[in-house]
Amino acid sequence: MHLLIVEDEARIAKRIERMARAIVGEGMRSLVHKDNLQDALHYIKENTLDLVLLDLNLNGDNGFDLLTTAVSESFHTIVVSAYKEQAITAYEYGVLDFVPKPFNQERLQLAFSRVGSKEKLEPSKVKHLAIKKRGRIHLIPIEKVLYAKGAGVYTELYLTDGIKELHDKSLEKLEQLLAHSFERIHKSYLVKMSEVKQVIVETGSKYKAELNNGEIIPVGRTKYKDIKSKWL
Amino acid sequence: MNWRFLLVLAVVAPLFLINSCTETPVFKENETLFKIGDQKEWANKHFNDQDWNQGKPKMDDGQVFWFRTPIDILQNNEDSSPYGIRLEVYGEYEVFWDGVLIGKNGNPGQEKKYGPKGKMWTTHSIPSALTEKGQHMLAIRGSLYWFADHAGIWSLDINYYDKLVTNRLIEIAFMHVLAGAFLIASFYFLFLFLSNKKEYPMLIFSACCFLFFVLIIAEFSEAYLPVHYSQHRLRLQSIGVLMLGISFLIPFYFSMLFPFPKRQIYTTLYGAVLLFIFLIRYDFFLLTARYMATSMWLYALGMVVYAVYKKKKGSITILSTLLLCVAINLIATFNISFYSGFGLILLGMFYLLSNRIKEQRLAYEKSLVQSTRLRLELLKKNIQPHFIMNTLTSLIDWVEEAPDKGVLFIEALAKEFDLVNRIENEKLIPIEQEIALCKAHIEIMEYRKEIHYTWEDEGIDAGQKIPPAILHTLLENGITHSLPLVDNTIKFKLIFESNAQYVCYTFLTYANRVRAVPSKIQDGTGIQYIKARLTESYQSEWEFSSEPTDYGWKNIVILYIQ
Repeated sequence: MHLLIVEDEARIAKRIERMARAIVGEGMRSLVHKDNLQDALHYIKENTLDLVLLDLNLNGDNGFDLLTTAVSESFHTIVVSAYKEQAITAYEYGVLDFVPKPFNQERLQLAFSRVGSKEKLEPSKVKHLAIKKRGRIHLIPIEKVLYAKGAGVYTELYLTDGIKELHDKSLEKLEQLLAHSFERIHKSYLVKMSEVKQVIVETGSKYKAELNNGEIIPVGRTKYKDIKSKWL
Repeated sequence: MNWRFLLVLAVVAPLFLINSCTETPVFKENETLFKIGDQKEWANKHFNDQDWNQGKPKMDDGQVFWFRTPIDILQNNEDSSPYGIRLEVYGEYEVFWDGVLIGKNGNPGQEKKYGPKGKMWTTHSIPSALTEKGQHMLAIRGSLYWFADHAGIWSLDINYYDKLVTNRLIEIAFMHVLAGAFLIASFYFLFLFLSNKKEYPMLIFSACCFLFFVLIIAEFSEAYLPVHYSQHRLRLQSIGVLMLGISFLIPFYFSMLFPFPKRQIYTTLYGAVLLFIFLIRYDFFLLTARYMATSMWLYALGMVVYAVYKKKKGSITILSTLLLCVAINLIATFNISFYSGFGLILLGMFYLLSNRIKEQRLAYEKSLVQSTRLRLELLKKNIQPHFIMNTLTSLIDWVEEAPDKGVLFIEALAKEFDLVNRIENEKLIPIEQEIALCKAHIEIMEYRKEIHYTWEDEGIDAGQKIPPAILHTLLENGITHSLPLVDNTIKFKLIFESNAQYVCYTFLTYANRVRAVPSKIQDGTGIQYIKARLTESYQSEWEFSSEPTDYGWKNIVILYIQ
C-alpha cells in the first residue's frame, strides 16, 4: 500500500503513522507524511497512491481545497479531523471514511478495512463526484450521473445531458462510494437504478437494461439474479 | 416621522387658530395731535385743536402735555359688557373719553413729587352711553419725567372690556404653559448633563430652554407684574440680553451636532455679528429681536443646508423646521412668529437630542453585546475543536507512549486553562499576565507540534495593561501559519516601546511562512477579535498592522495615550 498522511501536527502524524504501520503490516510499500497543503498537492501529483489520510485544517488553510483534489484522484481518501461537523460535507465530496479526533487504533483500523472491502457503505452520502478537467477540479452533482462505465483504470461517467466525463477512480472504487442508489449490473457498468426503465430478456439468456432515456446497457448474466431479487 | 407631524400639530395649529380668530376691529384710530400745557377743556370732544402739533412732544422735567386722538367707533355695542380701551403709553396719565375721565395711571405732572406710580399697560372701561357708532375723542393728559423723548401712544386697542382683559389672560396663560414646558425640559436636560458631563449639547440645550423660559416670562408677565414706564427700558435690555444668548446658543448647538469645517472661526464671527447688533440698539426690542432672529436663522440655515448636503441624520427635519418658521413669519404677526419660531426650533433641537440619546443607547447596548461576545470568544479559544481535539489526540499519544511527558503536558494545559479563567472577565490585563499566557500556550504547542518555540521580550513595562489574549491570538496565528526553520525552531519576539503619545508593541515571528503569497489571514477571526478588543478599550485610539516579512511575520499594535 502506498499511503500519504497529510497532517500539520507532528505528534498526531507520528501517531497515525505508527498505527498505520501496525494495521497494514507487511503490505506497506511506502508511507509519506506532509505537513502543509502545497507539499501534499505536489506529492499527489507526482506519485501513485492507494490511500490518503487527510486533516482538513492545515496551517489555517481550508482543507477542502485539498479534499476536492484528493477525491478526484484514483485513490481513496480518509479524513482525520477535529471538526465533526465537517463529516457530512466530507462524505458528500466522496471520502471513504471520516475519523474524528481524538482517535485510537481500532477506529483507524475500521477505516482502513473499508479500503479493500467489497462491502458497501451505509446509504450513500455522496452528493458530488469531483473530476479533473483541463487542469481544474469540477464537481458533478450525483443526480446528473446516469451510469458509469469502466475504462481500464479510469471510469467514464455518462450524464443526463448526454455529456461523457472521465473520472480517475476505478469502477470498483466508485462502486464503494456510490452504494445503494447505483448497482453494478455488469462488470463494466455501474447504473443508477432509478434510471432503469426495464430489464429486457433476449433469447440466449442475454439481458439488457433499458434506461429512461432509451439507452440500452448490457446486464451481466451473473448479476441478473441479484438485480432481479433486489430490484424487480 | 410621526414626530414631525406632532410638531406641526402641537405648535403651529394653535397659532393658526389664534390668528384666524382675530376679529375685525370695532374702531378706527385717527391721527393724534399734541400740545404741551395743561387746560381742562382740552379733554372736550368738540374742542378746536386745529393749532395743535402732529408727531411727538419733547418736554423737559415732567411737564404736562395732552394728546388728542379722534376715534371712529365702527360698530354699536350690542353686548351687556361695555367697550374698553387698552393703552401702551409712556408716562403717567389720565384718560378722557369724549371729555369724561375714564381712567387714571399714576400722577401726571407730579411724578417727581410722588415717585413712580402706575404701569406701562392699562385697560379702562368706557361708559356704554359714549360708545355709539360714530366719531369720539380720546384725550390723554400725561407727563413724562423719565424718558422724555419716548412720548407717544405706542399701542391702542378698543374692544369689549371683558374681552380685552380675558384675551390677554388667555394669551398669557398659553405662553406660560409653553414657558413651563421649556423650564421642565431645561431642568431635565441639565440633570442628564450632570450625570454625563461629556454631553455638552445637553447643557446647551438646557441653557437654551431656560433662556427661552425666562424670555417668555419677561415678555408676558406684565399682566401680573406691573412695570412702570421708567423700568421698561431695563426690561427691554434684559430681553435683549436673553435674545443675544439664545441667538448665539441655538446655532452653536447646531454646529456641535452638525459639525462643519472651520466651525470655530465661523461661530466666533457670528457671535461678533450678534454682539454688534446687540450693542447698536440693545433697548429697541423689536428691531434688535428682528435682526438677531434673522441672523440666527440665516446662520442656522447655512449650517443645516450643509448638513443636509452631507446627509447628516436629522438635518432634513431641522431644515423643514427652519423653513416652517419663514412660512409662519409670512402669515403671522412678528410676536407670534417670533415665539412660535423659537419654540419650533427648540423642538427641532429636542428632536435631534432625543435622536442622539437613542443612538447612544443603541451604541451602549451594542457595546454590551460586543463585550459579552468577546468574552465568549476568549473562552472559546480553549474549547474550540481544532485546539481541544488536536491537543487531546496528542495528549493521548503522549500518555500512551511516554506517560512522564504526558503528565507535564497535562500540567501545561492546566496552566493555560487557569490563566484564561483568570482573565476571562477582564477588559484589560497586566502585560505580564498576557506574556505568561503566551508562554503556557507555547509549552502546549511544543508537545503537539514537536517544534522548538522560543520566546523573547524586550523593554516590557510591567505597569502596562493590554486587552486579554491579543498577543496570544498573534502567537496562535504565528504558530498556525508558520513552518519551522531548518533547525526546527520558531522564534517569537515581543518589543515594547513608548513615548508621550503612544505605546507600541511589536510582535515578530521568525519562521518559514506556509505560503509565499499572504492570503486573507488579515480578515480571519483572530484579527477580528484583536480589532474588536482594541476598539472596546481604546475606541478609535489604536492602530494595528500585520504583515509578512523576509524572516516571517510582523505585527504592530499602537495604543495612543488618552
